[in-house]
Amino acid sequence: MQNDVRIFFTKTGTAKYISHLDLMRCMSRAFRRAQIPLWFTEGYNPHLFMTFARPLSLGQESLCECVDVRLTGEMTFKEMQNRLNDALVPGITVVSVAKPVHKPTEIAFADYEIRLFSETPELAFSALQSGLSKSSICVTKKAKQGRRKIDKEMDIKPNIASWQVSKTENGVMLFVRLTAGDQNNINPALLLSAVLNDANIEIDHTEILKKRVLLENGESFS
Amino acid sequence: MVNQAVERLLPRVQKPARYTGGEQNSVVKDAKQVKLRYAFCFPDSYEIGMSHLGMKILYSLVNAREDAWCERVFAPWVDMEKEMRKNHVPLFALESGDALDKFDLIGFTLQYELSYSNVLNMLDLGNIPLRSKERTSLTPIVVGGGPCACNPEPLADFFDIFLPGEGEEVTNELIDLLIEHKEKGSTKLEFLREAAKIEGVYVPAFYDVSYHENGTIASVTAKETAPARVKKRIISDLDSVFYPDKFVVPFVDIVHDRAVAEVFRGCIRGCRFCQAGFIYRPIREKKSETVNRQAKCLCDSTGYDEVSLCSLSTSDYSGVEQLIPDMLSWAVPEKINVSLPSLRVDNFSEELMEELKKVRKSGLTFAPEAGTQRLRDAINKNVTEEEVLRTSAQAFRGGWTAVKLYFMMGLPTETLDDIAGIAELAQKVVNEFYKNPDKPKGKGVTVSVSVASFVPKPFTPFQWEPQDTMEQLVEKQKHLLENVHTHKIQVSWHQSQTSFLEGVFARGDRKLCDVIESAWRKGCKFDGWDEFFLFDKWMEAFRECGVEPSFYANRRRDFDEILPWDHMDYGIRKEFLMEENTKAHESVTTPNCRQKCSACGAAKLNGGHCDAK
Repeated sequence: MQNDVRIFFTKTGTAKYISHLDLMRCMSRAFRRAQIPLWFTEGYNPHLFMTFARPLSLGQESLCECVDVRLTGEMTFKEMQNRLNDALVPGITVVSVAKPVHKPTEIAFADYEIRLFSETPELAFSALQSGLSKSSICVTKKAKQGRRKIDKEMDIKPNIASWQVSKTENGVMLFVRLTAGDQNNINPALLLSAVLNDANIEIDHTEILKKRVLLENGESFS
Repeated sequence: MVNQAVERLLPRVQKPARYTGGEQNSVVKDAKQVKLRYAFCFPDSYEIGMSHLGMKILYSLVNAREDAWCERVFAPWVDMEKEMRKNHVPLFALESGDALDKFDLIGFTLQYELSYSNVLNMLDLGNIPLRSKERTSLTPIVVGGGPCACNPEPLADFFDIFLPGEGEEVTNELIDLLIEHKEKGSTKLEFLREAAKIEGVYVPAFYDVSYHENGTIASVTAKETAPARVKKRIISDLDSVFYPDKFVVPFVDIVHDRAVAEVFRGCIRGCRFCQAGFIYRPIREKKSETVNRQAKCLCDSTGYDEVSLCSLSTSDYSGVEQLIPDMLSWAVPEKINVSLPSLRVDNFSEELMEELKKVRKSGLTFAPEAGTQRLRDAINKNVTEEEVLRTSAQAFRGGWTAVKLYFMMGLPTETLDDIAGIAELAQKVVNEFYKNPDKPKGKGVTVSVSVASFVPKPFTPFQWEPQDTMEQLVEKQKHLLENVHTHKIQVSWHQSQTSFLEGVFARGDRKLCDVIESAWRKGCKFDGWDEFFLFDKWMEAFRECGVEPSFYANRRRDFDEILPWDHMDYGIRKEFLMEENTKAHESVTTPNCRQKCSACGAAKLNGGHCDAK
């Protein structure tokens, strides 16, 4: 559509505890406070037209969330960004407002930076190294078959495009590129639990940060 | 700002956004720059507490001061409490993340009796000694307000101060006084002596209560600087009193997630079962311009797409005809829904309904309260069957297909015929639906009948009445079901055990303090939530403390008995309540305050002024 606008924003700090459903409410209220002229659906219960590319799991941070809306009045992208940032809560910051270039269905990969905090970084490091090097990584994924909810066994090794582990002062840092999008989305938490399940190591806590969303050809989704 | 110890627990609990703070419009100050820190505690979950208008008002009011910082504290949900206790994380306030024992003033709002065990649980989670006498230093001072402060005796040992009445002015006076005494380095006793001199401040430790052998009260004697009777505080002019221009906008979905504009306090109706209808007297209205301005301002600052008018009976607001069109003039273009709870069936006009339909169609709820005209007269619910049916028919013509009817069970003078009358009235509402020639095709009607158990409350004409026993209530529930003959009527009711406990605390005295502590030690908390209510533990606690609960719930009091709340002055004359009680037993109604003043006495609190006159 002519007036479609794509807003990229971060969701970091305590904002990572806002669930996706709560985020939608939070954003629509921010749009109202910012007084941005946006299109409402014209059904029985009109509501703000707003499309999120992909929900982020509760507890994970991101530098590249996005939501599409439709403008009904005149406002520059810069003005929209400034007004929204004044109206938004800590942890959610608009980084860009622009015309959408790609379709959300073109999303193919996402990059994650994962920090594992552990008393025994050496053990965590080798556990990740060996776990990720295996020829197959089997997980049980919750899936739907028609209306029925089923548990699906699958090997997610092919979904890992690349990875790299390094030691840090108090743990391990893992960089990983996973398939993403409507069809092949892999939650990094799922990968972690599969890899660490067998290894008997103490992880104090984990931080997952989504850094980039990419197309099949490696370009950034925009 | 969430502290690190708390954040470690968040991945393991449901709805972590309840514990992080950081919501839009929450107020963060520098703790070092303020002279007093106030923890406003709501003894229930975040979702319930955040829906409460009183908290929003007092939160903004205190934070408007430069020298004080008010923060919010809620009862953590059971999963969070378990993690907190396991990891020794004390109860914290949402804005700073600081533990409760860092605060000077800890205020609880007492909205309903079944939250009392949560008050103790929260104090304990915050490492605050439970009993007032165990807290020997000047701070923290634990205060309580809200409707239950009209008979706070069952909590008397745990609180330093109660604030009966409306809090806008007295909160600031108390904060001023506490700051002064902190700076002077006073003792707690020195502070309490001065506090007790403020109108609307009740220091329970300054009253000695003695009992007769039969358990009733022999005398209540004021000592130190305390007045013989504590007068509740009221706000005289609602147009000029502080009202927040911002609400904290929660992330999680709370019970009432919308902007709220208060239109008036008090009520003209005088329904004899309704405590709110008496303890908030005299009636004081806001001008419609004030309400309209405040509503608009809140919508702008919160981004809410719904605003609700708040009062005990919104259609009794004398400015309603002016206000609704004024509000719709900006709400409709901005796609903001205006909701009007608490409409009465007798003055709900077709025009008003048309206006409301412009925005969004919500449910329709009527509260006839009793099944027969005789009983409605006895409780002074001046609504006729004809009015209920006419309004239902009107609603059905307007396209509604579901109606909710609220009733009570266990009302004074009630018989099984009155119970059967509930089912009959519901059936007649169903019949109205089918009489409508233009009823929507292929759609049935649902009449939801919700039956609450009546609990006699202080400062009502029924304060002397025995509450129905649990056995009586169960029998009446059975009788009601036997009289419902269609699945179009759906009946639901409250658990009789929770109503029984509510009844005990509502009219309880200081002997219940030990019971509450004992029950809490046995694990009682969230008593208002069916899934956590441990009735057997409560009964065990009563037995161990040698207290007979039916003495409070099911006993008829004489008019000359000293009641545990007699030293609280809510303006209402006791003789007026006695007259009303007598009239109830004769099924004689009392006209509403606009038709005729009944000289209840409440106007004296407001220099003789009452908006109904």
